[in-house]
Amino acid sequence: MTDTDILGIAVTPMEQETLRAYDMLKQLAARDDLPPCAARNVRKALAAMWQATNDLNLQFEQLYDLGV
Amino acid sequence: MAYSEFWNPKNETLPREQLQALQLAKLQRMTHWAYTRSPFHQRRFDAAGFHPEQLKSLDDLRRIPFMTREGWMESQVEQPLFGALLTTQQEHAIRYHLTSGTSGRVPIRVLDGMKDWEWIAEMWSYGFWAFGVRPEDVVYFAFGYGSFIGFWGAHYCCEKLGALVIPGGAQTTEARVKQIVELGVTTVCSTPTYALRLWQQAQEMGIDLRKSAVNKVILSGEPSGSIPAVKRQLEEAWGARVGDTAGMTELGTIMIFECSHQPGGTHIIEDHFIEEVINPETGEPVGYGELGERVVTSFGRGFIPVMRYRTKDMVLKVPYSTCDCGRTGDIYQGGIRGRWDDMKLIRGTNVYPRAVESIVREHDAIDEFQIYIWHSDVRDEITVKVEMKPGREGEWPALSEALAHELAAAHENLRFIIELMPPGTLPRFELKAKRLVDDRPIAVY
Repeated sequence: MTDTDILGIAVTPMEQETLRAYDMLKQLAARDDLPPCAARNVRKALAAMWQATNDLNLQFEQLYDLGV
Repeated sequence: MAYSEFWNPKNETLPREQLQALQLAKLQRMTHWAYTRSPFHQRRFDAAGFHPEQLKSLDDLRRIPFMTREGWMESQVEQPLFGALLTTQQEHAIRYHLTSGTSGRVPIRVLDGMKDWEWIAEMWSYGFWAFGVRPEDVVYFAFGYGSFIGFWGAHYCCEKLGALVIPGGAQTTEARVKQIVELGVTTVCSTPTYALRLWQQAQEMGIDLRKSAVNKVILSGEPSGSIPAVKRQLEEAWGARVGDTAGMTELGTIMIFECSHQPGGTHIIEDHFIEEVINPETGEPVGYGELGERVVTSFGRGFIPVMRYRTKDMVLKVPYSTCDCGRTGDIYQGGIRGRWDDMKLIRGTNVYPRAVESIVREHDAIDEFQIYIWHSDVRDEITVKVEMKPGREGEWPALSEALAHELAAAHENLRFIIELMPPGTLPRFELKAKRLVDDRPIAVY
């Protein structure tokens, strides 16, 4: 877990928590044992969390290899 | 409920140096992504001797070769359907759209992945929030929902915002007016042309839209959304604030929006785009306050990276401080002012359709118009065909004289013929209006 955003500025507790939720969704999306109802909804949630974490400068990465 | 004035307070008020540092960080990653995953971009970069490692400062942006619509189309023709632009497998896409294909050109086809499609709505969210759309709003989309990307992203933006969304879909204008009034719509989204058309229809139905619940009209799709006369007419007709936005299919979304402070221009979403303004002939950057061509780099859709794309849009950039809303994103004064390739040469004088429209729309007795360019026996001629609003026909003699004078004065005394047309004879539009007809014969050698 990083302590700074992509500008090198210290992240706030709210941002830490947001990033943690995003990372958790990424881990879930990488699993191959999720039923369709979980696999697809996790991806949809991850696509939305990408926006929040990207808007807050917490990450800037691509997720196509996770199908997102 | 009290809301933040900004959709993204962190970045929308970021000091310029930090904003530029953010752009550089994103640019480095996006160029690396494009270079390693898209054969189209790899070939372009290699041919120009550019490598992503060379990006040490934002000034190095200019090392990246320009991307053009022509190059994109050629790639699509060589390798149907999407050319060599894709960075990942087609099966990762959830959405397909294409440009409106004006001028009979090959349409640009685009694909979006799941997070790209969410991002498209995210950019609209910056704009809609800035103009005051909130969860309590009832938003009406006067839009046909076809393959053209149009307001699709704005629709999903409003769902995300928590507003009540009403998709206008394939209905008559009369049915749409009825829905807007009956459902207590507070925000209407359409092209400028169609917002006028809705108002005209309401008048024919005996409905005064100023008495409706509509308090915001958000425009997109045509350059006229920032023409002061068009805006003034719409604000008076609807009794609502009118805000402009602009986007393009190549990006999938909007890159500029007008905030509720209405500074006479549109803020650039600079944490998601780099917008350069260049001299279209030399390719060199122009400064604040100088007219030039927009060149855009997007940090959004990773499926088809858009890097230093020459848009041919005519813009004039001014500093963010021109607006007092607190956003640090610079502004395109007057929004998109037209297209460099829209320019028509009539007897040695340059004529831009938007410049003509801005004069025509100063006359609110005019209902609809068309610019008709033709060749007489000896020379090119330009006629402005005009339909008057019902009940205002008596103003025609004075209006036609004034219009001819104003158009000539703005165009090196070029003579404009002004012609009165019977009501309902000129075409009406819902999406991109085509009010210029060039009927001159094409030279054959």
